[in-house]
Order: sequence, then C-alpha cells, then structure tokens
Amino acid sequence: MRFTEFLTEAEVRRTHEASLEVLETVGVLAHFAPAREVFRRHGCTVDDETGLVRFPAAVVERYRKMAPPSFTFRGRDPQFDRTIPDDGPIVVTGSSAPNVVDPVTGVERRATSADIANIAHLINELPGFDVFSISTLADDAPAGQFSLSRFYPALKNCLKPVRSNTPNMDDLHQVVELGQIIAGGAEAYAERPIINHHYCPMVSPLTMDVDSTEAVMWLTEQGLPVYTTVVPNAGLTSPMTLMGTLVVGNAEFLAITVFQQMVKEGTPIIYASLPTVADMRTGAYAPGAIETGVLLAAQAQMARFYGVPSGGYIGLTNAHSNDAQAGFETGMNTLLGVAAGATLLNMGGLFSSLMAFDFGKAVVDNEIALMDKRAYRGLEFSEENLALEEIAAVGPGGSYMGRNHTKARMKTTAVLPRLANRDMRAQWEEAGKPSIHERAMDEARRILAQPNGAVWDAAVDAAIRERFPGLVAGDAKPLEG
Amino acid sequence: MADADHFDKLKQAIIDQDEDEVLEAVNAALADGIGAKTVIDQGLLPGLNVIGEQFEDEEIFLPELMQAALAFQAAMTILEPKIKEEGTAGEKKGVVVLGTVKGDLHSIGKNILKLLYETSGFEAHDLGIDVDLFSFINKAKEVDADIIAISALLTTTLVGQRDVIDALKDAGERDRYKVLVGGGATTREWAESIGADGWAATAYEAVTLSTSLVS
Repeated sequence: MRFTEFLTEAEVRRTHEASLEVLETVGVLAHFAPAREVFRRHGCTVDDETGLVRFPAAVVERYRKMAPPSFTFRGRDPQFDRTIPDDGPIVVTGSSAPNVVDPVTGVERRATSADIANIAHLINELPGFDVFSISTLADDAPAGQFSLSRFYPALKNCLKPVRSNTPNMDDLHQVVELGQIIAGGAEAYAERPIINHHYCPMVSPLTMDVDSTEAVMWLTEQGLPVYTTVVPNAGLTSPMTLMGTLVVGNAEFLAITVFQQMVKEGTPIIYASLPTVADMRTGAYAPGAIETGVLLAAQAQMARFYGVPSGGYIGLTNAHSNDAQAGFETGMNTLLGVAAGATLLNMGGLFSSLMAFDFGKAVVDNEIALMDKRAYRGLEFSEENLALEEIAAVGPGGSYMGRNHTKARMKTTAVLPRLANRDMRAQWEEAGKPSIHERAMDEARRILAQPNGAVWDAAVDAAIRERFPGLVAGDAKPLEG
Repeated sequence: MADADHFDKLKQAIIDQDEDEVLEAVNAALADGIGAKTVIDQGLLPGLNVIGEQFEDEEIFLPELMQAALAFQAAMTILEPKIKEEGTAGEKKGVVVLGTVKGDLHSIGKNILKLLYETSGFEAHDLGIDVDLFSFINKAKEVDADIIAISALLTTTLVGQRDVIDALKDAGERDRYKVLVGGGATTREWAESIGADGWAATAYEAVTLSTSLVS
C-alpha cells in the first residue's frame, strides 16, 4: 500500500534540517539536572544557569539513528502482544480523564477505580482495541495509592497490554513492583514487562520537565518499555503554521529520542504526538480539529524518514456526547492517520477534549477502529484477488451471491458493523428508532454482564493485597439501573 | 490638541492593538500636561472596554486581545512612575496570587490570566509553574491577597488544587481568601467538589468573576 503523503522527499529533508537548526540554535530547556548531565556527557552544550541545552547536528544525527524500527506492547496474555509498525495500526484508548459519564445515570462525575475495572473489562472484549491506556483517574484512591488504584483494576481485568503514566517516582516504583508480583518475580518481569509506560516529558515549546523526565530516564536505564508523546499546540506553544508546528514537534521528538538513546543505546521508541491548532477565537484546545489529522499524517511521513514507528493521540473529540461531531472528529482524523501510515492510534472513549470517558463512545470507537484497520488493509492486490476465474465462471448477467468464492470471503472482505445501521427506515422505526449511542450502550451492557475471564488467580491477588494493604477492590461489575 | 482629541487617540491606539501608537499617544498626552491617571481613565481604559466587547462578540480573537493588553502594559511602564509622583493612584480592585500546581509546567493560560488581571486593575503576583501549596499560602499571607488563583493542565497533578484548599482549611485560614481554580484539567463540578470559590473556562471569564468576587 502506498501511504498518503503531504510532503515531497525534499520537503521531508528540509523539515528535518530545520529541526536540527532549531535544536542547535534555539535549544531545549531541560529542568531536570541529571538529564542535562546526560546531554553534556554526549556532546551537547549545556548552560546550567539557564538550563538550556544546545544540540550539535552531528550529535542528533548520531543518536537518533540508534532508535530501533519497532516498539512492542506486552499484555498479560502474550497472544495480545503487539509490535508496531508490523502489527499496526494498533488502537489504544484515550487516557487519564478525570471524569466518567456515569453509564447508568448519564451524568458526568469523577471517575473511580470501579469504573477503571469496568472499562478494562470492556476494552478486553472489544476486538478493535489493542492496548488499554488507563482511561481515567481513580478519585477513590487511598492516600499513597494514586497510581496503584489505576493500574491494579486495569491489569486485573484486562489481558491486553496496559499503558499509563505516574505522577512521581514513588508511584512508579509501586507500579513496577505490582507488575513484578503479577509476573511472579523481578526476573520474570524483566523478561516480559507487561506494563507499558508512557509520559509527556516535553512541554512545548522545547522544554523538558522534571518529574516525567526522571521517570523516562529511570525506565530507560532499567530497560523497561517507555515511550513519549510531544504535544505542540499552534498559536500557543508553536507557530501558527502547520509547518512551523511540525518543526517544533519534530525537534522535540528528536530531543527526547536522542535523550533516551544517550541513556541507553537501542531503546525502542515511538514517534508519538498530539499536535493541535488552538482555536484563536478563545484559545480553546481543539484536539478534534482536522489539523490534528493533517499534522499526524506529516509526522508519520517524518517517522518513516527516521525509520521509527509513529502515531499518537488522534481521533479525540471536543464533543460532549455521542453526536455527529464526536463521530466525524474521530472518524476523519483517524482515517487520515492510517492513510498516512500511522500505526498507533490513541483514540478511544473520551469526550470533551480528554476530560471524560464514556462507555458508549468507547463502543462506537471500537467500530471506527475496525473500519480504520480495514482501510489500512487496502485493496490487498494479488493475482488471486483479481478473481478472473470467478468473473469468467459467473459470466455476463450472472450473480455472485450463491457462489463458494463469495461464501469463503463474505466475513473477511468487509467490516461487519454491530452498530452502524443498515436496516430499511421502516425496520428502524419499528425497533423504536434507536440512536447510535443507545445501541452502543446496549453493547456495553451486554459485554459487562458477562463474567470476566481475564481476572487472575486468587493467589496472585492475595499476594498483591498483602503487599499493598487497603488497595481498592478493582472488580468489574454489570451495569445496573 | 484638545484633551478630548488626546483621549480619542489613546482609545483608538488600544483598539488598534498597536503598542507604538499607544506609546506615542501617551507621550503626546503627557507632553500636553494631561495627568497620568487621566490618560488611563479617560483614554486607555475606554479603549480596553471596547476591546473586551469586541472579544466577547468574536469580532476580535484572543491574539488581538493579548496585543491590546500588552500595549496597555507597555504604556503602564511609563505611567506608573508618574502616578506615584502625582499621588493619584486609585484603588486597586484586589490582590491576586496565581500559579500552576505542583508537578505541572504549563504556563501559557496562566500568563494570559496574569496579563488580563493587570490590565483590569488587579495587583497580580505570579508564582510561576510547579508551585507547591506552601508557596501559594505563604505568598498570599505576605501580600495580603484577596484571591488565590490556581491553574492545572495535567489531570494527574490536578489534586494539587484541592491540597491548597485543604491546607488553608487546616490552617484555619480558608475564609481569608477567595480560591479560584481553572485550566484545561478542571471543570465547574471539580471546583465545586473541592470547595473552591469559583471556576472559569477562560482567562477573560476568570477576571470578570474575580471582579465580582472582590466587589
């Protein structure tokens, strides 16, 4: 398949050179002193008074080439492991929303660990999703267990790879320890680390923070899977041109990538981003705007130039309900991403610019994800697929309906949607004119009414609860009411 | 030039969002013997009022509002010393301590708020980013603040806003300040649930809200 490309080869090269120029002449502010030390030791110019790091082009070129071409997400069950780009596009839930739309009352409220357990169960069962990035925070977290109260219910109820972040090193150590208990020890965990860490250490424009940088550095040293996302926002943290925003984001990607390679050569990374253009009428954040898709497509092209996998937060929406806006913002943007060859789509389940998870939206996004994956498969050109023998056998005026050739391919050639309505109008009226949201919620209720086979052994659970007393229950439950 | 013509020029310069034009008009007015306080009250503030209305009506966009505010701020660097000399300083609307919560380095929204506070007659003390709860409380005490305004963009460090309010309660000083929260990670419901005195979706609304809270 040939990917959609907005830039010519020469333009890609110029964008790369422009990014090198930014890193060399403008530089990056690094607030975490040990990170500045890493940069200094590997040939960057560091001003400790201001925190400014400048990157000679040769240094960037040397280290960015050490980044391997793939990144693997691991789940509790290895059959759900996914490596990009080869297994792409892989679909990931949107993450860390403080709120949830209550699946029974429909009212938005603070999310809890019980919601995370249910969401984990749902994502485990929805075939369009590959990775569960923990969708919400847990407002009921006991003191000192902010992150445990998210990772525990997530891992307990989902065999697919689980991804998230932590706000500080204490939480990160706890979470890794949780993973080690699940794996049956530190050694087993080092073999198969099933927690996939993600951070945003780059704060646009061109700044590295303290807490996330420290976490990325530690995880990279440990050889544990961690990748980062850059988040330029045109008009606020990057120039009001898509090209200027591409350059700022690309320079930030290069800075954090060479940082990880300097810490440990050959560390797998992803060129992940959440590029946006702010709505200049008010300054409003607009992750659902079409410009996000255009920028992510350009970044996919840059990532191919660098030989690394790419993707990011795409298909988010500013909408507050499962309306047409929610659908077109998710659909148009993710389709642009896959057409351009992005193989990581952080897209599922959130309303209101990452503020609230909605069960119905997650089920709709599952269907959009299946369509995106189908689009990515393309036409599957082959001599066999030209079906010349079949065309000859049916002949002019015949029908393909009753043919074995059709029967053998009818479940794989096209996506068979569970939600998209293909009834005649009269049938839909007789069914009570169900909206897409109502159909999606029916599906969520159906899934959550099933027992969850993903839950681990009682012995594993006992070991976890002994190590972390007072931990939340973390059990998925049917939606009632 | 008649005073009224000076006022028109000052007002128009702000509406044009042109810093050079504003400074020229200010200097011309001062040279003609118009007092600094009068330059502000009769010239610049009427211009800012028009800018505010235009912004609310979406006739102008946020970058234009910002430029008008920055031009006003530039004029104030000339006018403030003169006001002190004249002894005509008016009542300030209130004193605000603002910053972004611990663990969060996002500053742009907070900086816009600071600028709008200053152009609206508030005394604003900006603690910057990654601010721990003690810094908020100590600074508020030091400057006898009316308002503590706390910004948060990251959802994972959002609880820092609640921590400030809880610490104020523990110290028995909750009633001494109005606490406003805002930023991309916040909602009205969150503000209510942590017992904040107010929440606003935009910097512009935050200043309007602050004005009503202190009056």
